[in-house]
Amino acid sequence: MAPKPTTSYRRFYDVNGWLFVSIALGLIGVFMAFPIVHSLWMSLHAGQGTVVEFVGVGNIVRLASDPVFLKALQNTCIFLVIQVPIMLLLALVMASCLNMPNLRFRGLLRTAVFLPCVTSLVAYSVVFKSMFSYDGLVNHALAWLGLIAEPIPWLNDPFWSKVVIIIAITWRWTGYNMIFYLAAMQNIDKSIYEAARIDGISAYRRFVSITIPNLKPVILFTTVTSTIGTLQLFDEPMNITTVGTVFSDNTLTLSMYIYNLSFKFVPNFGYAATVSYVIVLLVAALAAIQFYAARERN
Amino acid sequence: MNFAKRFTIRSTAAAMLGLALGGTGLMASHAANAGEVTIWAWDPNFNIAIMQEAAKRYTAKNPGVTFKIMDMAKADVEQKLQTTLASGVTKTLPDIVLVEDYNAPKYLRSFPGAFEPLSGKVDHKAFANYKVNLMTMGGKVYGLPFDTGTTGMYYRSDLIKQAGFSDKDMQNITWDRYLEIGKQVEAKTGKKMFAMDPQDIASIRIMMQSAGRWYFDKDGKLDIKNNPALKAALETQVKFMQTGVYKPTSGWGEWVGALNKGDVASVITGVWITGSVKAEASQSGKWAVAATPRLNVPGATNASNLGGSSWYVLSSGKEKAAAVDFLNQIYAKDVDFYQTILQSRGAVGSLLASRGGKAYSEADPFFGGDKVWQKFSDWMGKVPSVNYGIYTAEGDAAVAAQLPGLAQGMPVEKALENIHNQLASQIK
Repeated sequence: MAPKPTTSYRRFYDVNGWLFVSIALGLIGVFMAFPIVHSLWMSLHAGQGTVVEFVGVGNIVRLASDPVFLKALQNTCIFLVIQVPIMLLLALVMASCLNMPNLRFRGLLRTAVFLPCVTSLVAYSVVFKSMFSYDGLVNHALAWLGLIAEPIPWLNDPFWSKVVIIIAITWRWTGYNMIFYLAAMQNIDKSIYEAARIDGISAYRRFVSITIPNLKPVILFTTVTSTIGTLQLFDEPMNITTVGTVFSDNTLTLSMYIYNLSFKFVPNFGYAATVSYVIVLLVAALAAIQFYAARERN
Repeated sequence: MNFAKRFTIRSTAAAMLGLALGGTGLMASHAANAGEVTIWAWDPNFNIAIMQEAAKRYTAKNPGVTFKIMDMAKADVEQKLQTTLASGVTKTLPDIVLVEDYNAPKYLRSFPGAFEPLSGKVDHKAFANYKVNLMTMGGKVYGLPFDTGTTGMYYRSDLIKQAGFSDKDMQNITWDRYLEIGKQVEAKTGKKMFAMDPQDIASIRIMMQSAGRWYFDKDGKLDIKNNPALKAALETQVKFMQTGVYKPTSGWGEWVGALNKGDVASVITGVWITGSVKAEASQSGKWAVAATPRLNVPGATNASNLGGSSWYVLSSGKEKAAAVDFLNQIYAKDVDFYQTILQSRGAVGSLLASRGGKAYSEADPFFGGDKVWQKFSDWMGKVPSVNYGIYTAEGDAAVAAQLPGLAQGMPVEKALENIHNQLASQIK
């Protein structure tokens, strides 16, 4: 039998412990757990605004034959497949350049590369919008260089508008990912590189065979976070390629479709919740695949 | 789950929410004093300024009532209204809210009971018929019609003359004729006929309504595949895109900039553009106004509408009675008020009696001494009434999605089919 004082002592601390976390738990319950459970419940309903009825899996059935959803999914996947690899490769190369010990103005260059991701999303979107407009800087520059005869409709054309979005998010997020690589590179033991240099290994081989394997966990981390970010892409297409009252179909993403369903179209919060869960499932599935591909094989 | 259990969970959740929201509720109840009518609207130079004028007139006769006019961005008004109505917490809602006409049927249908029916309290016969129709649901009329989006063709008479046409050539023309004139204008003056965003569907809306058609028929059923007006509108849009008669722009600023910089010879849009056209004083006397072009289909007219908004009273409002009386006294009866807002803000109200006022028959030197307001109010009476239905935004998106394909030579029939399919899948 345990001595009595210990039990009450423990109980005392248990109660106090729960008291300490109760506020946080309450807030998490109200602002996280409840919305998550409620949105799941909502996704089983459909209708207009407050006039809703229970439809069970009806929303999921509707997804399969909804051309707008499929278009948004397609656009989102295009951004994901093209932009994320370009950005991560660029970040890796930049980090490795900025990690060179004999590089001049290192601090300045690092700041310059990181600077885009501390700028305001809306502010840079507005600048991009004006740069890529029909009369904008980019068209003028290209015409001056003699590369184009007619201005390119950057923001209106189905192909070019996607290019603009990819350029914009690459500009904004490359520096962010670079910082992770740079930090990880500085943790790699310098003696490994010295040994490799003495053995006469080329700089390219050193990068591929020493740097990249050592960065594996960080590369996995940036891939997963970039995937999540791209699947939730909203600000750039909303601010750069949206015109007037209608969202451009050319760059419609899943997040924009959710916004449309909730605030632009006849409000159908149930169906919007279902589309949100599609993003959740996609993120989960892609993250699982990435973890599986990058697992330790020994 | 038995009832007691469910009740406990509900009340716990409610209590938790109550705790979290208690602060906000307290603040809100303090903000609304007795006799204060709260109003949400957008555009400080237009709607807000006009509402302030209206409020001033009303308080002069009813000193007990004060007004709190809140200026927000249009998207913010819509989003706030929609989320608050959906949440069911009506405490923070205003007494009066401005709603764009295209959205009105959607709100009335999606949030039954949220808006106060005004039939019987306001004489709706005094307003333009097409505005009243779109705020009627189930035999009741909600809202008070405000500004119209009656369309017209603003053109640079100097450029048109340079191209070999007279002002007479611009009156009551068809879209095809407009296109021909446009080609001539470009050949002779080097200027484009108009500016347009290739993704914008505003001109398609104008064309459709001028022929009395919409994405939906009078019963609210989809009207796409056999809709001659929509078909003709898409064909006209294709002609625009293929002949390159327009200057492509993106966004409002660039579009208005094209007019003010003198890059284009005309603009066909709602009467609310007048202020922006007149903003470039150096072009005074060079502009003129003619009727909207018409389509080559049965029932086509030279009058249409783009945009416009109306005032709605919320049923949950504390000062509901004062709000209704205010709208009725000023917006439904005060003809002099309409003269003031026309002169100061260029607002063409939809109260038919206001057209008899002096301001409407005044000549405007900016438009070469033309009585432009008279023209717009005449067209206002001719705008065909259509049923916007509740899915106009979905219809716009479906049409916009087909424009790139059409520009590349997709048959119009195929585009109509795609629009129909997309809309059919969205209307559930």
